[in-house]
Amino acid sequence: MRFRLNPLTVQKIRRFRSIRRGYWSFWIFCLLILFSLAAELLVNDRAILVHYEGRFYWPTYGDPLPGRTFGLDYDYETDYRHLRRHLAAGRGAGWVLMPPVPYGPYSTDLRTDAFPPFAPSWSERHYLGTDTVGRDVLARLVYGFRIAIFFSLGLLAANYAIGVSIGCAMGYFGGRFDLFFQRVIEIWANMPFLYVVIIVSSIVVPSFALLIAIMAFFGWIGITWTMRTVTYKERTRDYVLAAQVLGASHGRIILRHILPNTVAVIVTYAPFSVASGIVALTSLDYLGFGLPPPTPSWGELLQQGWAYMSAWWIVAAVVGAMVVTLVTVTFIGEAVREAFDPKRYTVYE
Amino acid sequence: MNHRTVVRWLHVAMCMAALFGLWGCGEDPAPVSAPRPGAAPAPPPRANLPGGILWQTNDTDPIYASPTAVRGGTLHEALLSFPLTFRTVGPDSNSSFRSAILDNQLSLIGIHPNTERIIPELATHWAFDPDGRTMYFKLNLEARWSDGHRVTADDFAFTLDFMRSKHIVAPWYNDYYSREIEKVVVYDDHTLAVVAARPVPDLHLRIGLGPTPRHYYGTLDADFVRAYNWRIVPNTGPYQISDFEKGRRIRFKRQEHWWGDNLRYFKHRFNVDKVVYTVVRDFNLMWEHFKKGRLDTFGLNLPDYWHVKSRTEAVRRGYIERIWFFNDTQQSAQGLWLNLDRDLFRDPRLRYAFAHAMNIETVIEKVLRGDYFRLEHGFMGYGAYSHPQIRARRFDLDKVTALMTEAGWRRGRDGIWSIDGRRFAVEVTYTLEEHTPRLVVLKEEAKKAGIELTLRRLDPAASFKKVLEKKHDVAWMGWSTSLRPQYWEHFHSDNAHKPQTNNITNTDDPEMDRLIEAYRSSLDGETRARLSRRIQERIHEIGAFVPTFMVPYVRQAYWRWWRLPDPAGTRHSNNLFDPFNSATGGLFWFDAQRHHETREAMKAGRVFAPATRIDDTYKMASIR
Repeated sequence: MRFRLNPLTVQKIRRFRSIRRGYWSFWIFCLLILFSLAAELLVNDRAILVHYEGRFYWPTYGDPLPGRTFGLDYDYETDYRHLRRHLAAGRGAGWVLMPPVPYGPYSTDLRTDAFPPFAPSWSERHYLGTDTVGRDVLARLVYGFRIAIFFSLGLLAANYAIGVSIGCAMGYFGGRFDLFFQRVIEIWANMPFLYVVIIVSSIVVPSFALLIAIMAFFGWIGITWTMRTVTYKERTRDYVLAAQVLGASHGRIILRHILPNTVAVIVTYAPFSVASGIVALTSLDYLGFGLPPPTPSWGELLQQGWAYMSAWWIVAAVVGAMVVTLVTVTFIGEAVREAFDPKRYTVYE
Repeated sequence: MNHRTVVRWLHVAMCMAALFGLWGCGEDPAPVSAPRPGAAPAPPPRANLPGGILWQTNDTDPIYASPTAVRGGTLHEALLSFPLTFRTVGPDSNSSFRSAILDNQLSLIGIHPNTERIIPELATHWAFDPDGRTMYFKLNLEARWSDGHRVTADDFAFTLDFMRSKHIVAPWYNDYYSREIEKVVVYDDHTLAVVAARPVPDLHLRIGLGPTPRHYYGTLDADFVRAYNWRIVPNTGPYQISDFEKGRRIRFKRQEHWWGDNLRYFKHRFNVDKVVYTVVRDFNLMWEHFKKGRLDTFGLNLPDYWHVKSRTEAVRRGYIERIWFFNDTQQSAQGLWLNLDRDLFRDPRLRYAFAHAMNIETVIEKVLRGDYFRLEHGFMGYGAYSHPQIRARRFDLDKVTALMTEAGWRRGRDGIWSIDGRRFAVEVTYTLEEHTPRLVVLKEEAKKAGIELTLRRLDPAASFKKVLEKKHDVAWMGWSTSLRPQYWEHFHSDNAHKPQTNNITNTDDPEMDRLIEAYRSSLDGETRARLSRRIQERIHEIGAFVPTFMVPYVRQAYWRWWRLPDPAGTRHSNNLFDPFNSATGGLFWFDAQRHHETREAMKAGRVFAPATRIDDTYKMASIR
């Protein structure tokens, strides 16, 4: 029965779909995520498919294939861009199918006659140019997006798990429990978040999970307040009283009765939290306190763009990407808020 | 080491630190112990000069100034900030401007910047006592203070009183002049001896004191710091501050009849009449001032300035000339320091393989625009103390393969060397964001060699702590330099396997200990130099240090009317337009005719051939 949608929910979804801007943004956003999940096939310095001496190779996933596999004279991983030219020149039997962007996020494309950053070039397939070390900006953007978006979703999950549980409990139990946590939150909220991050990341190099943990450490407060208020309101509703009279346990009341009725609030906040998660990671990376180099990151690109203003393509690419992502997420958020807005169904007299 | 030399070296060390994010060690200027109470300023009693003294002098080393140099002109320089005081000791005195004052305060003896032998400054003759800690000096009878007083032996005795006085509020100097120098013995007005606390190698570098005018200071009191904040103290060098406007500018004027004008090593030097320092509070703004001709010279060591920014109209038209001057001076030991206490690096073959997997040449060529040079070992530029033949291990995949295979390792499925489930993966700890591009390229290249580098950037304090506690795999860092190589702190087993010492490689090698002990106990220059070279060979054999870069040159731009000798500087020059330094400064001169010609051409729009001079007279052999 859990899978049968509540008629109210169906109505909300229908309403969401009717807001075209948000609806399409949602699909674009999903597509971007899907696209980034398949990034290895689209943006990579490993070939998608190599046909060499009658055999097919799929180097994208799995262990690296040493150059000797394809008759080259080295043991380290094959340089497929080179292999492609090598085979095309007739120095071996076979062919190479490269991804549309034949550069990975870490591969440096250095030349003997010039110094990076290199401007965008269609013929070199650096569609957005390279950064100051000669890495493809588009590749860094795509992989950076994947990290940022999953970081942000992970952070969202962590924040909401903590915030919703504590907030619900505060609202539901009230009394001393509520008072105690109110004071805890007030103290907590006064801790300077950025300083703590700086201190922590100067002592240990933050990993993906650790950074989520640090940020969630401070990020749960906002949703907690909201959930507390909402739960307070719901608790005094007749259906909760009815459930209590019927002898339902606290757990059951919270999970089966109150929580489903507060989902609207949670869902409304979520897209904006995703956006702020992306911004948070980017700004931490920009300041140099985020994920360690050489992790592809938007903040690091932004930092480079700032230091090398003359290499306009770096800053243009990352600012463009941020604007597109944040606008998309915000449109989704607006549509969700609109769809879940209770005012539409309530008449105040 | 006299006051001026101490300061100069501290300054060099600090500049290096600023340039490369080094950690200064070695001679620490931090307060070491409480100041000794000030000694009474009474002149010490006269003693009798011992017999059998073998006086030496040096009037045979080559001169390095140009005989064609002429007097005249004004050099315009810039300061980033106005100094907080003109005192050279005490609170707030440690600004970069201090060297301009101290360089005009000569010492008993100097060091020839090319031959590194002793040359006369205030003393004409000197002699070593067999006790290994005493030097005798005969003063130049011509030597005068800028206020006309004779320089006497007593002025050197006063230096000791002055530097030991608690009233100067300079604990480091209090301590140094108490612990390192025992006394100054005055025999007559022009003969004295300086006695060090104990026999030390390179005695002359430590006790060539400068004089302090007793007739000017009289008795010091608690008011010293305040009273002498802006006083212009008599000096013995060619220039003195003539006037200044606080916060704006300071003007130095050459003394009309300077007593040192005809000395062999001072002749044809210190040619400009005036040197004006103007405060320009921003580096980019300084560049704009220079382009407008309000400043005469500008340093172009930064790649951006040399390659990009100096492509200006005035350079293209030949009004501004540029010079790239290679020197041969002490280089910081920058590179990758392997922790030998890590299992991986116990086997020397793995250390060698690691060194052969570092593609430093590609980094220099493709990331650093060929502006840096390969450091061959940790102690380059120390003259006879540097080994001329050692070459750092070059990037070589075949050698890596041979070494690793010999050690029984095999390439894993991911291309990284492995044995019994262990992989050749190490963490590189570093601090400066600007170094990330270099490390990113090294990492990608090392992957080809089958070694995985994990980059760990920590803030300087955290990184320093981690490295000093020997918790690193590989540290990416450099050390500041000193006059002579210091080995004990970095490579002696006394400092291995324990936290908070500079032996960050945990080098623990009996042969190395023996060599270092011999080096430290020897007082003979030649033996020490030989041992030093042998120690460098041993460091190379142990292979715990992978040298990376050095910057053995100075690059400057200057307006066309400034002329430089040929060669343009000395082996140890790090600024060709240094107006005051008694060893390397004051070699340039103002060419009034070229000034006129250039100004006319600028008005008329005529152009000269652009001039970029590359002077590699002293280019190190390893980079020729």
